[in-house]
Amino acid sequence: MKFALTSFRKDLARWRQDVLATLIWIAIPLMIGGLITALMSGQGVRPHGVLLMVDQDESFLSGFIAGAYSAGELGELISVEKTTLDEGTERVNAGEASGLLIIPKGFGAAFLDAESVTITLKTNPSQTILPGIITNVTEILLDAGFYAHQLFGDQIRSIQLMGDNPGDAVVAAMAIALQNKIETVAPQLFPPIIDIEIIEPPAQEPGVPLALLFLPGIILMSVMFAANGIASDYWREREQGTLRRLVFAPARLGGFVVGKALAAAVIIGMVGGLTLLIGFIYHGIAWNKLPASLLWISVSGVALFSWFAALQMSFSSRKTASIISSMLLFPLLMVGGSFFPLAVLPGWIALLGRASPNGFVADRLTTEITQSGSWAIDLNSWLIVLLGAVLGLSTCAWRLRTGFARA
Amino acid sequence: MLKVTELSKNYGDFVAVDKISFESGKGAVFGLLGPNGAGKSTTINCISGLLQPSSGHASVAGHDVVTDGKAARRNLGVVPQELALYEDLPAVDNLRYWGKAYGLRGAELESRVVAVLETIGLGDRARGLPREFSGGMKRRLNFGCGIVHKPEVILLDEPTVGVDPQSRARLFEMVEAERDAGACILYTTHYMEEAERLCDSIAIIDHGKLIAQGSVDELRAKLGARDVLQLSGSFPVDATRLAIDALIERHTGDLELISQAEDNVTLTLSQASQHLPAIFDAVSGAGGDVSETSLRSPNLETLFLLLTGKELRE
Repeated sequence: MKFALTSFRKDLARWRQDVLATLIWIAIPLMIGGLITALMSGQGVRPHGVLLMVDQDESFLSGFIAGAYSAGELGELISVEKTTLDEGTERVNAGEASGLLIIPKGFGAAFLDAESVTITLKTNPSQTILPGIITNVTEILLDAGFYAHQLFGDQIRSIQLMGDNPGDAVVAAMAIALQNKIETVAPQLFPPIIDIEIIEPPAQEPGVPLALLFLPGIILMSVMFAANGIASDYWREREQGTLRRLVFAPARLGGFVVGKALAAAVIIGMVGGLTLLIGFIYHGIAWNKLPASLLWISVSGVALFSWFAALQMSFSSRKTASIISSMLLFPLLMVGGSFFPLAVLPGWIALLGRASPNGFVADRLTTEITQSGSWAIDLNSWLIVLLGAVLGLSTCAWRLRTGFARA
Repeated sequence: MLKVTELSKNYGDFVAVDKISFESGKGAVFGLLGPNGAGKSTTINCISGLLQPSSGHASVAGHDVVTDGKAARRNLGVVPQELALYEDLPAVDNLRYWGKAYGLRGAELESRVVAVLETIGLGDRARGLPREFSGGMKRRLNFGCGIVHKPEVILLDEPTVGVDPQSRARLFEMVEAERDAGACILYTTHYMEEAERLCDSIAIIDHGKLIAQGSVDELRAKLGARDVLQLSGSFPVDATRLAIDALIERHTGDLELISQAEDNVTLTLSQASQHLPAIFDAVSGAGGDVSETSLRSPNLETLFLLLTGKELRE
C-alpha cells in the first residue's frame, strides 16, 4: 500500500507538468455542451424584417391593411414603413427591406364596388423566411377581404359614404342592418355545423429541460477523454523504460497499478468535477446532489480508465493502441448519449447506449441530477461500477506481469 | 556476492545463453565482454529477474534470483542500457521514487538521495526535469536511479553506448566509486578498453558461450607477447594456406594462422615486424596480392580475435 501511495504521488506530480492535456479534456466537452445548450435554450435572435408600403390610395381600407401587418405577434417580426414608390423600389432592390407593397390609388373604391384591382408585392430575393411570411399574410388579408365584402359589402360602403359625423339615426340603422345580417348567417355559425371535440392531454408533471439532459453526456465526454488519455500512460512508461526498471525492483506491480488508478481517480474527478460544477451552476441543480455525482464519476472514471488501459496494453505498438482506442471512443460517446441524450435517442439505440459503459454511467448520473433527493443511484449500479474497476485493474496488473512491463 | 552457475536461456531451438558460469565478489568489477548479440544482455536479464532462466542458477548476495527473487532484487541495482527515467519528474523525485521502490523511507532515503545527487554531479540541478537535461546528464541520472538504494550488486548493461567522452569518463569515476564503496559490479561492454580500465576479472562471451575467463593479466598472458598481423587483399585460398603452412614449418617462432578468407588473412606471431618480408614473400609466391597491412600489439581486442577469429565489433 505504501508503494501505491508513492506511485499515486509520482503520477500526480507528473500530470502537473501536463496541464494542457487536462485543459483540453475539459474544454472540448464544455465547448460542445455550450453550443448544444445555446441551441436548446431557444434564446437566439429572432428574425425581423421591414415591409415598405407605398399607399397611393390613402383610404380607410389601405390603412387597415398597413395595421394588419403590425398587429400582434406579427408586429414582432415585421415593421411597416410607409414610403414613396421610388425610395421603396430603391431600398428593396438594395436589400434593405424584406418586401415592398404597393397599394394603388382607387384600391378602396374598387374593393367596395367589387371591381378588379391589383396590388403589387415585391419581395427581397436574398431572403427566404420573412418575404414568405409577408406573402402569406397578404394572401390571407385578400381572402378575408373577399369574404367580408360578400357579407358586409353594403354596410362597408355606407360607412365610407357617411363621412366623419354620421347622425344617430344613421348609426342605429347601420347597427340594425348588421344585426340582421348576423342573424341570417348565425344558424351556420352558432352553433357551428362541425362539432369539434377538444381533448386535452392529461396533466403532466413539469418535464426535465432538454438542455439539462445533455449535461451527463457532456460530463461523460470529459471523463472518457481523461480516462483514455491517462490510460495511454502505461505505454508512455513502457517507452521511457520505467516499467522495465520497475520489474527490477522488489516493489509490487499491484501497488503500482493501484497508485495509477488513484491518480486517475483524482484527475478524472477534477476534470469531470469542474464540468459538473459548471453544469450545476448553469442549470441551478441542488448542491446536495454534488457529492454523490462527483463520487459517481470518479469511481466510474477509474473503471473506464482501467478498461481503456487494459485495451491499450493488449496491442503490440502504442500507435495501434492509440488508433484503436480512439476509434472506440467516439462511437461510444455517440451511442452513450454524449452528443444526443439517451432520452431522445430512438428506442433500440437508447437501449444499446444504456448498455454501453459510458451510457450506463451517464444514465445513472441523469437519475442523480434530475430526481428529487440526493444519492439516488441504486446500490446495484455502484456495485457494478466497483466490480468493473476491480476487474479492469486486475487485467492491467495481469498484463504487466505477463510481458507488457518487460518488453 | 554474484554467482552464476550453468545458466542457460533458450528461445525454442535457439540458445541465447549456453551454460555460463562465473562469480564475482565484494568491491570488484566483473566484465562481461562480447560482440552485439553474444548473449550479454540476456545474461543480465536473467540475473535481474526480467527473464526466467531455462536452466542453471544465479544468486545475488546469497539469494537465488528465481526462488528468492524479492530478496535478490532488493540487493540488486540495475542500470539499463536504455534510459529509464521519468522525463517529467524532477531529478530528485526520480531518485526518491526509485529509492522507495526498493524500500527506502524517511531519513535514510533522503540522505541517500542527497549523496547520489552529489555522486552523479547533479546536486545543483536536483529540481530540474530530465527532459531538459543533456544526454550525459540523463545517463548520470539513469546511473543514480540504479544505485540509490545502495545495492550490494550492480548490473551495468553497456552503460556507455552513445555517451560522449566527457560523460563516459564521469561514468567510469562513478563505477570506480561504487566499487571502492564495496559494491560488486557486473559490467557488460563491447569496448575492450573500458574492460581493461575498469574490470578486475573478465569473461568473454560469444554465441552465448563463455570462451575465456580470468583477470585482465591472466587473459593477456594467454595471448602471450604475440602480435596480430592482418593482411587485406586477394588471396587464393588453397595456395595461400599451403604457403603459410610451409612458413609455419620453417618458422622457429610461434607463427599461427588465425583465420583466412579470399580477401584477408590473420596471423599471430611474436615480433611480427621482423618477419614481415618472409610473410609477404610466401603470400606473393602463392599468387596473393596484399593491399593493406595491419599490425597490432597484444591486448584484449586481439585476444578476442585470437579466440573467435573475428573482430569484437563485427
